[in-house]
This record gives sequence, C-alpha cells and structure tokens, in this order.
Amino acid sequence: MNRRRTALSTAAALVLLATASTACTVKSSDEPGATSAAPSGKAGGGTAELADGSKVKVALVPGGAHPYFQPWKQAGDQAKQTLRLGDATFDETAEWDQQKQNNLLSTLAARGYNAFGIFGVSPTDINTTFADLKAQGFAVASLGSCPAGDIDKADFCLSTDVELAAYKAAKTAIDAMGGKGALVHLTGNNVDANTQLRKKGVEKAVKETGGQVTLLQTITDIDKDLQTAQKAVSDLLAAKGDQIAGIVSTAYNPAVAAAEAVHQSGSKAKVVAIDDDAKILSSVKDGSVVATVVQNPVGQAEIGSWVLALLQSKQCTMKQPGKAVDSGSFVVTKDNVATYNDTRKETTAQLKKQFAGELLSCG
Amino acid sequence: MKTAVKPPGSDTARPTDGARPAHRLPFWVNQQLGLLVLIVVLAAVFGTLRPAFFNERLVLFPLLRDVSTLTVVALAQMVVLSIGHMNLAVGRMAAFGAFFAGFGYDRLGLPLVLGLVLCLVAGAAVGALTGWIIARTGVNSFVVTLAMDFALLGLVPLLYSACTENAAFTTRPAGLAELRSSSLADICLGPVCGSPAVPQVAQFTVLALAGLAFLYYRTRTGRELLLTGANPAAAELSGIPTGRRVVLAHALSGTLAALAGFMAAVGTGTFRASIGDDFMLPSFLGAVLGGTLLTGGAVSVVGALLGTTLVGVIRKGLDLLGVGLESLNIYLGCVLLLALSADRVRTVVSYRKVVRST
Repeated sequence: MNRRRTALSTAAALVLLATASTACTVKSSDEPGATSAAPSGKAGGGTAELADGSKVKVALVPGGAHPYFQPWKQAGDQAKQTLRLGDATFDETAEWDQQKQNNLLSTLAARGYNAFGIFGVSPTDINTTFADLKAQGFAVASLGSCPAGDIDKADFCLSTDVELAAYKAAKTAIDAMGGKGALVHLTGNNVDANTQLRKKGVEKAVKETGGQVTLLQTITDIDKDLQTAQKAVSDLLAAKGDQIAGIVSTAYNPAVAAAEAVHQSGSKAKVVAIDDDAKILSSVKDGSVVATVVQNPVGQAEIGSWVLALLQSKQCTMKQPGKAVDSGSFVVTKDNVATYNDTRKETTAQLKKQFAGELLSCG
Repeated sequence: MKTAVKPPGSDTARPTDGARPAHRLPFWVNQQLGLLVLIVVLAAVFGTLRPAFFNERLVLFPLLRDVSTLTVVALAQMVVLSIGHMNLAVGRMAAFGAFFAGFGYDRLGLPLVLGLVLCLVAGAAVGALTGWIIARTGVNSFVVTLAMDFALLGLVPLLYSACTENAAFTTRPAGLAELRSSSLADICLGPVCGSPAVPQVAQFTVLALAGLAFLYYRTRTGRELLLTGANPAAAELSGIPTGRRVVLAHALSGTLAALAGFMAAVGTGTFRASIGDDFMLPSFLGAVLGGTLLTGGAVSVVGALLGTTLVGVIRKGLDLLGVGLESLNIYLGCVLLLALSADRVRTVVSYRKVVRST
C-alpha cells in the first residue's frame, strides 16, 4: 500500500515538474540572439585611430586563473593608458565554470563595463553568452578561443588557431624524430571542443607520414594541475619509455611535466612543448625540449582592447561580424629562442594593420 | 519551516522538564528567520555600497537563476541527509541526467518536456541504483556514492565522446531559449506583469520546494524518512521499511540532481559533461546552512533556499565590489563563518535566557 502511494506521489511529482515548463503563458520570446542584428558592412572612409575611448570600459575575462592569461593583465593596463580608455579591468574569478563566468560578465556590465574580451569556459555554450551581451549593446570579442562550430556571435574572434598550432607542434616533433617512430600526445580536458581540434591537428600530421609515425597514445585530462601532469608523464615513461620516440604536448601543465621528466630520466624522446613558461624556455635552451609552440596572448589583449574600443565607441564596425582571426603561433627552437619575441611583436603589428585595412569599416 | 524527529542536539527539540509545559525559544531564535534577516541586511549593505546591486536585469536575474539551480542541488543533498546519508555523486548525477536530456533532443528529436522527463527518469534510476546498493550491502553511503561519483566521472565523458563531436549536445528544442531568458515580466495576467528579476526556471525550484515540503511536513512517508535518519534501528523495529526508504531517498536525490543538471544546461545553453562539476560543495553548504542536520532526522526545506541565497548574495556582492580571486573565497569564508557564529551566539544567548526564566 505504502509502496503504491510512494510510487504514485513520485509519478505525480515527475509529471508536475515536466509540465511546468509549458504550463505558463509566455508573452514574448526574448531570445537575445534573435534580436541582435548584424551591423551592415559599409565601406569605410575613416581612420582606425581611436578618437575618443573615454566612454569605453573594457573588461578582459578569461575562463579562470591560468598562467597563459597573465600577460592580458598588463596588456589591458597598457591599453587603458595608451588608448585613454574610461577603464580596463582583468577579472579571472570565473573559476572555469560557464555559469560563474556568465554571472561575472553580467556583474561587470552592472559595474559599467561595456566592452568585453572573453575567453569562454565552454566553447559550445559561449555563443549564448555573446548573444546575451550583444543584445544589451555591448562590444564583444572572443579572445584566446573561438566558439565551437562555424558560427561566432561575438563581433570577432582573435585566437590561436588551435588545430594549426597542434599540427605545427606535431610536425616539429615528427621532424625531430627523423620522420619515424611512435609519438605520444599529451593534452587537456577531453570534453572540450578545443581539445578535439588539437587531437585533429596532431592526427593530421601523423597521417601525413603515411604510417612511418604512429600515434602511440593520446593522454587527455592532465592539464588540471602540475601534479596530475607529472604523475601521468612519469607513469607513461615507466610503462612505455623505450617505445616512445616523441612527445607532443598541446597543453601547458603536461608540457612542463614532460620537459622535466625527460630531462631527469635521460629519455631519448623528443619533446615539443607549448607556451613560453620560464621552465620550458630554459629546457629549450638546454636542449631537453626540442621546440615549443608559443602563442600570442599579449597581442590578443592589446589588439582586442583596441578593436573593442573602436567598436563600442561606434567609430568602426566589423565588415564581417563574427570573423575569426589567427593571433599567431610560433615554433621556438634553440636557434630562435632569443629572437622569437620580436617575431611575435611583428605579428601583432601585422594584425593591427589587418584589422585597420581589411576587417574594420570606419567612417 | 523545519521538521525534525527529535534529533539529538537540535535547537527545536530542547528537553522539557517533565511537569511543566515546554518553554519555547523566542521566535527570533528561528534559524530560518535569522538567515532571512542576514540576507536582507547583506543585500541592503551591498545595495548601499553599489546601487547596481538592485539592477533587475544585470544583477538580480542572473543571481536568482543561479540560486534557483543551486537550491535544487541543495535539496538533492537534503533528501539524503534526512536519512543520515550523503550523496557525493550529486554533481555527476546531474551530468548523467543532463546527458539523457541532450540525447533526447539531439538524437531522438524529443520536445522540451519529454526530454526533461527522460532526464528525470535517468536521474531517478541512477539514484535508486545507488540507494539499492546501500540498502542491500549495508556499506556506508559515503563510500557507495563516492564510488558512484568515480564511475559516472568516467562514464559521462565516454558517452558524450561516443555521441557527439564537440563533447556537447548543442541541439536546442523549441522553448529552451525562452525558458533560459524569460522572466516573470514575460508572463502577464491582464495588464499586470511579473518582475523581470525572477527567471522562469525558478518555477522548477518552487515546484521542488513545494513537493518536498508536502512530502516532509504532510505525509507519513516523509516522517518515515526522517525517523529512518534519526534512528534506523528504532525505525526498523517500528515497522518502517527502512531499506525501501533508503532507495526512495536516493532516487529522489538523483531526480533532483538531474533536474538541477537540466536547469544548469538551460542556463548556459548546451548539454555537456562538465555540468555539475561544482555542485558538491554548494549542495552541502545550502542544506546545512539552512538547518538540515548532517546526522539525519531533521530537514529544513525553506532553509535550503535561504542558505543558498545567502551564499549567492555574498558572492554577488563581493563580485560587484570588484574583489579579486585571491580575496574572494577568503571573504566568502569569513562572512559565512561570521554568519554561522552569529546564529550560534543568538541561539545560545536565547537558550540561557529561557533557562534563567524557568
């Protein structure tokens, strides 16, 4: 009897919950994405030099705390001074949670920020956030990572082409291995669209060898912290160390761990790392890491803030809203470790020209 | 609104001295009232420091959407706490349920409501399985739910990897976008419309609160759940089918966790494996702050809402004040500690007053 009553109550609760979503009459659909019309790409006759940025308050919001974003802070401060912006802030309190990042963005909007450079936590969700912000009249840039899929609801995306960077890294590793042997790929969160792209990039480079190089293993989910990465790499070397001819890491923590482990164990595996952390650079210098693929976070924040200011002050519009631009990735070896930063600065200057000449319409 | 089956040490069940009628504690000792006062005071302080705190669209709407989801998470934990158990897999159960909703929309082309039903059934099933294992084996719920957490931690990403390209279901059935962005301002009774600060997803929270309040305060099953939590041996000897109550509590917890997963997915836009990653701590925080005992036998349904709201208000206020990452969690911890200490001090002072007066 009791059991039947319990089952009945549970079923009734389920039906109630399920029908709740349709029970109410809704006045209007308020989907922001539907209302955000794309600005028309008019021919630009004006200048892309920012005239007045005093009413623009730029917020640079990464997905959470990570060494990769530290240059954004300084670049944001720099942009505030050189462009005479109303304000510029860097807020890393999203804690790698999309809901928290959404809340943080709306809070920043309430505090008066009106132009947002965002590294979305979830590439599959971030378009919804962009559409929300655009609908409220804010300029939005997707910095450091583009949304998954072909559609970008931000004004523009300025990011490393992650598939290309992974491809470059894998190619460099394959070259260092002499074009044959077993390669291991170390990367981050497997249920992240960018990780899927990185895996594609590495697989593409391996496929091009026509079977000479095999992808021995792809280890995911080890970018959480350095300890996790260190354990995974030492386990890997202990189990398969003698089979491995090359290691390519497309995430920060495994790169540091692989550089350390190979150096300490005296393994002959050729390591290609990512980013320009001091440890990785010294490993490149001492030869324990063959190369590292560095990205351009400074350029992303610098160019991102400048374009956001132009867009929010209505001085310019994007000719093609949602355009994705590669912020650059560079293979750094022992030979160019002293000069790669100049190349990176040149790329940033090129990017500025590309935006001013091709992508923006100013009038 | 707190219900208890004479839990040892509970504020609401002080020993009475036999012949005399029980001396009730003054109304201001009520924990829920204390929380409500704290929330109002903190909101007033934050509102004074940053008037933008009362911005309906940019601050209150996202705050309440967050509170709605996390309250359901806290309720999912509260249900198992009521029988003296805990559910460490609350976040993964949310991800598990959300997977089925996403699968239903993407692969089966289900409408919004049926996808939600599938999500809730999946949550209930995994919860019931957990409860059944606990009831059959007698292994501590901490161990079983921890094992379930690990199992789902591996299973859910595997399912997403097998079924999707970007590790997320991005298909959105009709009505999902409206559910996400609509507020009570979109619902009108003649010329009178609701507040733009209250999100429509809050309807699920209200239903869950009402359903659980009815269960615990008005039904025999609810009282049996509490008695199972307060003293399982006594409950068994009184003829209560404790094994079935354990399965029921865990099934309910799984259902509520799945509902929270669905709400989180609606809030951000897609159904993905990382839903619920951060649910475990808020689930305990909301329930325990609200007055639910970790040892079982006493729950507070409204308390879970108030506890979650308190944490939400503090976090939002600190965000508005521009507190950095380094300081945010320190301040959050300090304010919570102060809030709980104030509550305890209030209880002790009032209890002494009552003792002196008798």
